[in-house]
Amino acid sequence: MGATWVYAEVTPEGLHPSALELLTKARSLGGDVAAVALGPGATATAAELGEHGAATVYASDDQVFVDQPGRPAAHTLKALIDQHAPALLLLPGTYEGRDVAGCLQALTGSTLMANATDVSGPDRARTEIFGGTKIVDVDLAGPEPKLVLVRPKSFPAEPSGGTATVVPLEAVVPPGPVATVIERHAEAASGPKLEEAIVVVAGGRGLGGPEPFAMLDELAAAIGGAAVGASRAAVDAGWVPYAYQVGQTGKTVKPEVYIAAGISGALQHVVGMKGAKRIVAINKDVDAPILKIADLGVVGDLFQIVPALTEEVRRRASS
Amino acid sequence: MSAVALAAILAIAVVVFVRRARVRVALLRAAPGAARTDEVGTRARRELVHVLGQRKLFQKALPGLMHAFIFWGFLVLFPTIVEATIAVVDRDGTLPLIGQAPWFLFLVDVFATLVAVGIAIAFYIRKVQRPDRFRGSHMEEADKILFAILGIVSTLLLWNATKIALGMTAHPGAEPVANALSTLFGPGQPTETLERVFVWAHILIVLGFLTYLPKSKHLHIITAIPNVYFAKNGPSGHLAKLKIDLEGSEEDIRFGVATAKDLSKKQLLDLFSCTECGRCQEVCPAWNTGKPLSPKLLIMDIRDAVAGLDPEGEIELQPPLVPNAVTDEVVWDCVTCGACMRECPVDIEHVDTIVDLRRNLVMAESRFPTEAGALLRGVEGPNENPWSQPASARTDWIGDIPVRVLDPGDPAPEYLFWVGCAGAFDDRAKKTTQSVARLLNAAGVDWAVFGGRERCTGDPARRMGHEYLFQMLAEQNVATFADAGITKVVATCAHCFNTLANEYPDYGATLEVVHHTELLSHLLAEQRLLTTPGTNGSVTYHDACYLGRHNGRYDAPRDVLESTGLTATEMERARERSFCCGAGGARMWMEEDIGTRINDTRFAEAAGTGADTLAVACPYCFVMLDDAAKAAGSDMRVADVATLLAEATLGDTAQPEAPGP
Repeated sequence: MGATWVYAEVTPEGLHPSALELLTKARSLGGDVAAVALGPGATATAAELGEHGAATVYASDDQVFVDQPGRPAAHTLKALIDQHAPALLLLPGTYEGRDVAGCLQALTGSTLMANATDVSGPDRARTEIFGGTKIVDVDLAGPEPKLVLVRPKSFPAEPSGGTATVVPLEAVVPPGPVATVIERHAEAASGPKLEEAIVVVAGGRGLGGPEPFAMLDELAAAIGGAAVGASRAAVDAGWVPYAYQVGQTGKTVKPEVYIAAGISGALQHVVGMKGAKRIVAINKDVDAPILKIADLGVVGDLFQIVPALTEEVRRRASS
Repeated sequence: MSAVALAAILAIAVVVFVRRARVRVALLRAAPGAARTDEVGTRARRELVHVLGQRKLFQKALPGLMHAFIFWGFLVLFPTIVEATIAVVDRDGTLPLIGQAPWFLFLVDVFATLVAVGIAIAFYIRKVQRPDRFRGSHMEEADKILFAILGIVSTLLLWNATKIALGMTAHPGAEPVANALSTLFGPGQPTETLERVFVWAHILIVLGFLTYLPKSKHLHIITAIPNVYFAKNGPSGHLAKLKIDLEGSEEDIRFGVATAKDLSKKQLLDLFSCTECGRCQEVCPAWNTGKPLSPKLLIMDIRDAVAGLDPEGEIELQPPLVPNAVTDEVVWDCVTCGACMRECPVDIEHVDTIVDLRRNLVMAESRFPTEAGALLRGVEGPNENPWSQPASARTDWIGDIPVRVLDPGDPAPEYLFWVGCAGAFDDRAKKTTQSVARLLNAAGVDWAVFGGRERCTGDPARRMGHEYLFQMLAEQNVATFADAGITKVVATCAHCFNTLANEYPDYGATLEVVHHTELLSHLLAEQRLLTTPGTNGSVTYHDACYLGRHNGRYDAPRDVLESTGLTATEMERARERSFCCGAGGARMWMEEDIGTRINDTRFAEAAGTGADTLAVACPYCFVMLDDAAKAAGSDMRVADVATLLAEATLGDTAQPEAPGP
């Protein structure tokens, strides 16, 4: 079969982990494997890329790949493809990967398969549909190279211990209107992800405002590895961002322990957390529906109970 | 000489008119029909009431009067256009029979004056009152049109005045206004010239107006007539069945509306009939709470996109309407409450077009607000309800209430109580379900429920545009009804009610469907339910869109409330002008993060009445308004009409509807 190439995304922090995953996969398909790395620091990644199976690394350290989104990378890839005619190009399903892939497809006119979870060669890839409930294998028709966007973390990254020949590249910057990157900003994520946390501490309307969420943050920190969530009422009131929302129209969580403070337990919320192994509810209202599904229901003032609980957790952790 | 000039001008005007109308005519010709040719009598009657009678325009008094003056004026003045055409060629020529009849001269004089008064009112509304409903409308175009109309009637009056001055009229007394104006003119040569000037000016303005029409919003004077005729008969809550034939040829597969070529003839007529009056915008819950959707701007934006098309061009290359003409946000903001359609004087069907756009986004592109995915998966999934609750939990509300749960093969009850997913799973709606069950038992009604065999009616999927999913659920539910031999159904959910009553017949159901407030009102009238007087307190009733505006049920819930002894006060926006709770159109399962919240807005209005209870008759309204009450920290109680009746009838102790902070 023809060559398989990997678009190795270079970030200001170095090589994106997806590059090594894709190379590990590319190696298993047979045929020559090459990587394309673009942006400041690209050349320096060649050793690592080679170690994971790239026989050739096409690299350019040009600043233009950072200053402008997508287009220069796509045009540079297009020039390389015209020269070497690979059969398959794997790109990571990251923001940058998708940006480059869309632009590149417009240039090559070849088939682009998005959101793939596996690939078995230039002619076939796998994806999930209907919210992940069905898995389908897709035949890729049309001219080569096939472009396949692969979801990050679809494959493990395993070194093969090779070395790569580095081929320096000139950036191809197309004429025409230019979009310039003005600022990059990564939203700082604190604590574990809500969906992945082992313990979730969630607050509802009973908190009465944004400030008491600090109390929940403290409890989560004391427990360690706990995430803070919220009911729709607290999100709608603007106390915490939508990312906190647990429920029908928010996140679905399945932690070992779910602590619901000041949450009445409306259906909209319960749908998102009923999969928790243990539910602890703190509510001043003895009739609150959440108490019916809770394994442990505490009827009382959360403003006294939550700090006391935090204190107790800290005491036990330190002893 | 005059005849030649007139013929030439007439020919030019007609050619320009036809050329300018070409795009719109070609689009209309190519568009699929809307199959709205049945019930000719109903359609003809609507034509009389909505067009000739101007009924929907009179929903606003002053603008209604303004429009009626101009419209009725032009009906009367049509003969004078013919008369002026004759007079251009032959100064003394006139219409046979009526031309010199005093009654005709009188009518022309009065109505030409009324048109001028109408124009004055229009300018007063637009320049002095300046209502917000005109925001986004083409105000300058309207001014041009108004001036043209004023030109037409003023040249007519002045022409008639010069004829009186020249002694050409037999009955000057029959034309009081023209007669008064005639004192401006002497009997001599200058007046004879002016007589020619006015009649020519009259004809030229009329013809100029004709050529202006096809590309203007004033085209409604032609298109509104078929648009009203082809409007939907029956309840506005009924959506047309979309034929999904996946086995058919690829050419025939339509998933709603993607590009202009998918619009039906009626939908195109809607676009060409809009006068940008903004009555729809004024009542739209989305627009009124600061969201991008305005039904008026939606129609205008699609119209502008369609008007720019080359009918001979490649239709495959037409850009998709979303997001080129209207954005995704606009399409998803709609609560399908139907307030826009009810206000529209020319019967534009905004909601049906929005649903068609959604159908394409959902079924062809799988493009919709992410958070609504859980709804579709739940309805489609093994448990077939929006919250993915176990089907076996559908009977959890029963507790110790005696309820017959129908097993296959059981004898059919008189009434099948369609509990609905909210009624079965939502803690607040469950209280309504329980109240209805106890009341039916107290009244000795023969009733039963399907229990775990009930599925979502498919309403939220359908309003979201997932017609395919709706169709599957409808067919399965219809089969369940048929197998059980059910003939009568009572539903507590206004959305279930609308779907069962209006849409299931398209899938073979023959059911008599009543809303629980109707059945309860009936049982009270028959004295099968007796209320104990002495209930204190005050109540205000919120009309659910799918019970009230879409289905005309306003009185039954009010009758039930009256029987409870509670003092009722009405909100400003009540009955057909009720303001949505914000949950319709599957908005119940979407986030509302632009502008203010619709439920908060409506609750504030309810709280403003000073009543201590807000009565609802639909579980969606219940959840939305109760949430708003809690968010507002209000003491106002939100309760279903049935629960209030149960308290007055069965002596149920008043319970807080949804406990908890």
